[in-house]
Amino acid sequence: MSALFVLSAIGAVSLALGLWLLLPRGVPWGKPLGALLVAVALGVIASLVPRLGAWASDSVFLILAAVTVLSAIATITFRNPVYCAIWFGLSLLGTAGLFLFQGAQFLGVATIVVYAGAILVTFLFVLMLAQPKGQAVYDRVSSAAFLSALTGALAVGVLTLTIVGVWRAEPGPSQVAVVDRAALDSDVLAPDHMARLGASLFGKQLLAVEVAGTLLLVALVGTVAIVGQIHKPRTGGDASHV
Amino acid sequence: MSEVALLENYLLVGALLFGIGLVGFFTRRNMIVMFLCSEMMLQGVSVSLVGWGRFHNDWGGQLLVIFILTVAACEAAIALAVVLTLFHQRGSLDIAVWQQLREENQAPHLDIAVPPAPIEDERKWPRLTPAGIEPDKDLQEVLHRSHM
Amino acid sequence: MTDATTILLILIPALPLGASILTAVLGARMLKDNSHVPVVVCLVAAFVASLMLLSQVHSSSAAAESMVGWESVTNLWTWASIPDAISTPAAARGVGEGGDLLPATLPFVVNVSLRADALTAIMMAMVTFISSLVAIYSVGYMHGERGYWRFYSYIGLFVFSMLMLVSVSNFVLLYVFWEAVGLCSYLLIGFWYEKPSAAAAATKAFLVNRIGDFGFALGLFLLWATYGTLNFHDAGGVAGILGQTRLANPELYVGGGTATATCLLLLLGACGKSAQFPLHVWLPDAMEGPTPVSALIHAATMVTAGVYMVTRCSPLFMMSPDAQQVVAVIGFLTAAIGGVIAITQTDLKRVLAYSTISQLGYMFLGLGVGTLAGITAGMFHLFTHAFFKSLLFLAAGSVMHAMGGVIDLRRFGGLRRLMPTTHWTYLFGSLALAGVVPFAGFWSKDAILAAAHERSGLEPVFEWLYWGALAVAFLTAFYTFRAVFLTFYGPERVPHEAGHHAHESPPVMTLPLVVLAICALVVGAWFEWTGGFADFLRRTPSLAYSGLAVEHGAEHAAGSHMLVAAISTAIGLAGVGLAAFLYLGDPAEVSSIRRLLGPLYWLSYGKLFFDPIYDAFIVRPLAGLSRLSYWFDRTVIDGLVNSVGRLTLAMAWGLRALQSGMVQFYAIAMLWGVVVLTMTLLIWPTLAAHWK
Repeated sequence: MSALFVLSAIGAVSLALGLWLLLPRGVPWGKPLGALLVAVALGVIASLVPRLGAWASDSVFLILAAVTVLSAIATITFRNPVYCAIWFGLSLLGTAGLFLFQGAQFLGVATIVVYAGAILVTFLFVLMLAQPKGQAVYDRVSSAAFLSALTGALAVGVLTLTIVGVWRAEPGPSQVAVVDRAALDSDVLAPDHMARLGASLFGKQLLAVEVAGTLLLVALVGTVAIVGQIHKPRTGGDASHV
Repeated sequence: MSEVALLENYLLVGALLFGIGLVGFFTRRNMIVMFLCSEMMLQGVSVSLVGWGRFHNDWGGQLLVIFILTVAACEAAIALAVVLTLFHQRGSLDIAVWQQLREENQAPHLDIAVPPAPIEDERKWPRLTPAGIEPDKDLQEVLHRSHM
Repeated sequence: MTDATTILLILIPALPLGASILTAVLGARMLKDNSHVPVVVCLVAAFVASLMLLSQVHSSSAAAESMVGWESVTNLWTWASIPDAISTPAAARGVGEGGDLLPATLPFVVNVSLRADALTAIMMAMVTFISSLVAIYSVGYMHGERGYWRFYSYIGLFVFSMLMLVSVSNFVLLYVFWEAVGLCSYLLIGFWYEKPSAAAAATKAFLVNRIGDFGFALGLFLLWATYGTLNFHDAGGVAGILGQTRLANPELYVGGGTATATCLLLLLGACGKSAQFPLHVWLPDAMEGPTPVSALIHAATMVTAGVYMVTRCSPLFMMSPDAQQVVAVIGFLTAAIGGVIAITQTDLKRVLAYSTISQLGYMFLGLGVGTLAGITAGMFHLFTHAFFKSLLFLAAGSVMHAMGGVIDLRRFGGLRRLMPTTHWTYLFGSLALAGVVPFAGFWSKDAILAAAHERSGLEPVFEWLYWGALAVAFLTAFYTFRAVFLTFYGPERVPHEAGHHAHESPPVMTLPLVVLAICALVVGAWFEWTGGFADFLRRTPSLAYSGLAVEHGAEHAAGSHMLVAAISTAIGLAGVGLAAFLYLGDPAEVSSIRRLLGPLYWLSYGKLFFDPIYDAFIVRPLAGLSRLSYWFDRTVIDGLVNSVGRLTLAMAWGLRALQSGMVQFYAIAMLWGVVVLTMTLLIWPTLAAHWK
């Protein structure tokens, strides 16, 4: 069995355990132990990344990635949904930074504006509207915590193994295709990035843009229709439970 | 950082985001948090797509992310409307309230041990009298003052 | 000429079919009490057309100088065609001179083709004539019956099927219409389906016929495997089984065991349809149907289908003398059994039913003799029998009609003054059946006896059969006149059920009786004296077969013929005399004789106990077996199937817990599925490459 597989397995298992411990379940010392395990797991997974030794030059990426992932973990582990939302906002900021790091300027800004600025605020609005006083029971318990953590870790493990393992096993066609740095600079990384993005968006993908616009309209109408029903008396539902 | 390594790193970050969002979606019971988690999964996919776009020097990745943003916005709007409706019906954001999809005669899924609620903060804060209303007078105080 | 024949051939069956459909569609709502109109009109028209066809065939076949008779085949359409269905059997033969070479495989083709020849023309004329009269008679007999339109619709369908049966030129179609007449018989026996005994009789008739049809079907398979075709005529370059090529060259027929097996299987089919021993048991029960049905189907036409088929296939039977002897022996046995049982039956219709069985046995005896004289005699007897037996049944129906449904000979008597027409016509029919000169039955029965006598010179078994047949002739005369004397003579007795009905039937019923009575008187003598019947019938391709030409000197036959005729007449008169002595005299004498005969009487009265024996040895073991199979099917087979179902249920019971209603679990399960798929698709080859 290859060392790669063993390492992936260790990483996945410890990630699962760590996440399991971190989830709000009232395990004593759960949080620090979980954080430690997750850190170990992330370290193991990170060690699988090629040429991590040159991390100093990639520190920007690393910091952004760490912020993104850690705040993502915080998002799912905090009890108070408002904190969750705020951590998610931080995670979004990290993502936006990652986008910028890749030269996707528009996306970085759009993520902040659309997600952090609009969607997240909407979330918070709804939370304000719907959140009961104090901490609800359902925010303090997790359903099927271990199974969920295991499944999530398994998914990550499989994805990691796929990404890393496939690259290492044999050179795939994508790897062989040498990216022309000059072409990259003149296209995705070009100074008139926005103009080019806009050109392809409203050129090649015009139809898709129109469809997306229609989708937005439909969603708008649908939302109004759904919310409009709130004040009508309703029957049904499982009244016996909770 | 070479393009390949960069791609791998982005894919890994994307995978992690996706996986964490997945776990959150599975395990959290607050419907709003669940939707936060689903948005997080979308973010993971977006990160991967941007990485691929850079790697192939193609706008497709970024364009897809733009559409993901659009769809996410639609989804958020509708999902929140649905959440509000559901909340209105039951007064709870708990997803476990809605278990009608289960088999007939199957007992509803109940939580095992609910950890005790954290002790409420016992501190009392001073209460301000609402403006424009005569404050209630403490009888003792009034009596005491009159004696003085 | 040919065109007119074709049109007639199509027209004759089409008329009853059209009338049947018309009555079925309109009968219940529009025609109601006039439901008989389309059928009667069409049947009479079909009879006229049949006469035209008969005259055409007569002139054509007289003109044709062919050695192998005259036939005219009309192809309507191809019903089924399967190329390369069978590798060409050795006995298959091309049509051309000296036998053209055939391809290595032959197709299975069923052409809907109608044929006209002497045999078909005679049968058609006979069927349409009798059925027209029966249909007219039924206007009176069935009047006011619930399901009046249904009766006529069935009758039309039956006549159509019977006409097709005698006119198709292919064994498959013969089988189809063989079944179709069986179906009509079933429907008509069970016409009063509310009556349990009628329903049971219909089922019995159908099931017993199934046994025969099974043999028939096997016979057809064997024929096809032997000759590579099932056509009667030469078609598609292949010599038909009864086609001109093969008939002209008798050596083309396969002999030996194959021929015997084929013939015995075909005979089994004929036994079923024609109520021959040992499958005769359904016919007496079939009397549960309306009396006109008994007259038409179970006396005159359908039951003769077996005789027709054996006649049609006589070249095949020629190839197997063993099978011919079996036919003759079975015919004789049936005749004897029918005669013995008929003596003591007290139900008038049952007497006639057993007499039908007995007479059908005579016909088979004639066919079994196997010479041209024998076969034409059998057919002749079929022809005359159709007239006088339908006459007897219709007259019995008239009696039954007047007696308010009572048919028991012990409960009425001396009706000759009440019902003079019925009496005279019944008497004519009885004289014909008893074989008294010059009534029809005499000539045909005499021809059979003469043929058997001729053959007895060569094979001793026919000597025995001849004497046996004479004895049966005595029985026939006796039981026939026993019924006549009990019904129409002696002191007048009328059962109370009759009420005010006890009078002569209306003209619409008596008219057919009179017509048939005249026929019963003249038809035999006329054909015998003119010699037309045998001469005409000999033009049928099957009967013109050169193998049949082994005649034993016609002049020699004439001498012995007179002797035979004299003996049979004497015997017939003796039977009538004995019946008159017993039943016109003192009833006490009858009972003393009955006591004297004791067990013999009991045996005959119990119908030789065929039904209990079949019940004990066949029906009950079969029922037990089917109960066993039922149990096996219910417990083991269904048990297995149900176990699979229960296993699924049990597994589902376990898996139901997964359907908790928590959507998150569903999402988790989904992801597991994705993980497994990804592992299989992506990781596995990579790992395999690593471990290699």
